[in-house]
Amino acid sequence: MKTKTFLGFVAPSVLTMVALIAVPLAGVAWLAVHGSYVQTELVEVTTEVPTFGGQTSVRTRTVPQPVLDENGEPITVSEYVGLDEMRAAVDVDGLQSAFARDRSDRTALAATSSLYDDVTNLDFWGALEFTLLYTFGTTPFVLGIGFFLALGVNRVTERIRSTLVFATLLPMIITPVVAALSLYWLFIDDAIISSLLQSLGFAPFHFLGSEWTIRSIILFFGVWSATPFAFILLYAGLQTVPQETLEAARVDGASRWQSVRAVTIPHLAPLFAVIALIHLMDAYRVFEPIYVFGSRVFASSLQYLVFFVLAFQDNVHRAAAYAILTIIGVILLLAPVVWSTWRHQGGSNR
Amino acid sequence: MRPAHAVPHRVPGAAPAWLTVLTVAGLGTWLVLAVFPFLWMILISFRTPVDAFSVPPKLVAPVTFENFRAIWLEDGFWRFGLNTVLVTFATVFVSLAFGCLAGYALSRYGGKLGLWLLLAALVFRAMPHVVLLTSYKPFFFQYGLWSRYETLIIVYVAINQPFTIWMLRSFFVNIPRELDEAAMVDGCTRLQAFRHVIMPVMWPGVATAGLFSFLLAYNDFLIANQLMSGDMQTMTAALGNYLGQSRHMDKLMMGIAGAVSITLPLIVLVLLFQRYLVAGMTQGAVKG
Repeated sequence: MKTKTFLGFVAPSVLTMVALIAVPLAGVAWLAVHGSYVQTELVEVTTEVPTFGGQTSVRTRTVPQPVLDENGEPITVSEYVGLDEMRAAVDVDGLQSAFARDRSDRTALAATSSLYDDVTNLDFWGALEFTLLYTFGTTPFVLGIGFFLALGVNRVTERIRSTLVFATLLPMIITPVVAALSLYWLFIDDAIISSLLQSLGFAPFHFLGSEWTIRSIILFFGVWSATPFAFILLYAGLQTVPQETLEAARVDGASRWQSVRAVTIPHLAPLFAVIALIHLMDAYRVFEPIYVFGSRVFASSLQYLVFFVLAFQDNVHRAAAYAILTIIGVILLLAPVVWSTWRHQGGSNR
Repeated sequence: MRPAHAVPHRVPGAAPAWLTVLTVAGLGTWLVLAVFPFLWMILISFRTPVDAFSVPPKLVAPVTFENFRAIWLEDGFWRFGLNTVLVTFATVFVSLAFGCLAGYALSRYGGKLGLWLLLAALVFRAMPHVVLLTSYKPFFFQYGLWSRYETLIIVYVAINQPFTIWMLRSFFVNIPRELDEAAMVDGCTRLQAFRHVIMPVMWPGVATAGLFSFLLAYNDFLIANQLMSGDMQTMTAALGNYLGQSRHMDKLMMGIAGAVSITLPLIVLVLLFQRYLVAGMTQGAVKG
């Protein structure tokens, strides 16, 4: 295909992506280094104030008022603030005071853990902490459970198999907000889990009142909603494992587990890498469970932090600064992959 | 017929009993975990608040449609339903139109430019949506584009393109080049060959890519919630109004009914198109 024809064909797609992904990304960078305020001017206001005995006295004060343009709208001014907003987003001051705090009376371990608490109590660092915990904490479980499910489903009959695949697809396909809510509604006070425990004789337990339960439920959500994807891919991968090699391993006296380890897993290694990469990208932008469990205090995420600042504090510039920090994370996550794809495919030219 | 003297011997591939037990137990546990939260949510959505949250929990309780009536008619959820239909179908249509053109070109073009485009798309796909939203919100506000159907649709199309072109490209790659080359020898232009020769054999791929576009638009909460005002929201975004309502039981039950209303079409979708969904996920990832 000629380059000119190629450009014609990809034009609509590329133009939309440039206009609504590339340009907005540049816009975020611009917003992050600018501040804006409503332009005000000092206006002299004269008022008559009644004083004692029916007298009045005239008082003049100067008060700030927004400057209006010809349509009567207040004029907003943007100004370049350099890295001030970024510094505030990373919370340099908070970090300094966390590190400066005197912990000389404690053991090294207690001091480290207190420093860790102080740092993760800062908005950005707390969000980063749980985002990373969620991203890297769920990955091994997603891969492991997905793999064993694939091995198991591979052994059952056709009819059970399609039922299992149907059920497995649900946590992944169903709207994430709804899926998170369906878990949330299992754990609220008097909902089935807590009421089952109560009728078994346990004291009422508030699952949504403590950090470790909320974090565990959110991590469970992460594994639960991402495992189906790993399962489907690994199951498809299992069908491509060369049967002769498995057969040969068995003839040589390898046990089941040995042949899985020596034949199946190496064969599927590239697939594991692809699944891990896609899961890392998706988990890094976790938002819905954090939002649903309303747990900003107990568990936050980078994407939720930007949303919170944007929607509830209406601070576009601070949100943009957090967004830039989020993008830096994406780049760090993807850099090795993009580089190796480029080396891999760039040479062979297709 | 098997000869009478044949001794039943162990088939080489047959599993020991403990492995069968383990498989059944493992798959059974997963089946319950995967389905139970949704089943329970659907079950209690047809109950009064007292029956839905009782100690001890009830397996059987009188059925009522009150929660659905309240949210769909009293709270006007039907309006959000219509918005969802409009926005998702328009998104699917435009996404496929743009995506097929680009995916086809990417599958037939050998230059470096194509690789660059695919890599850029990979990076774009990884961008958290809230990053883009930060830019959209003030800009759309300023230029009067905020809270309009066209805006939401084109935003979904853009966000969807990276994934769509990757997937469609991998489908187009499987269609032999000889097909369009033969058509062009017969006097078709490139565009005619694409429309009349390639597209008719591409329907499975198009259906699969369409399903995933649909899911993105249907399932999105973040963007619709922030870019659309009040009556203009989609069902998923409007569900936000019912969150954090554990104190008002009626409102809570309406939220559950709303969530079930969003879930049911998806269950039907999975039942009908399970094969396409699986094909879409495995396409590309498994083959290369």
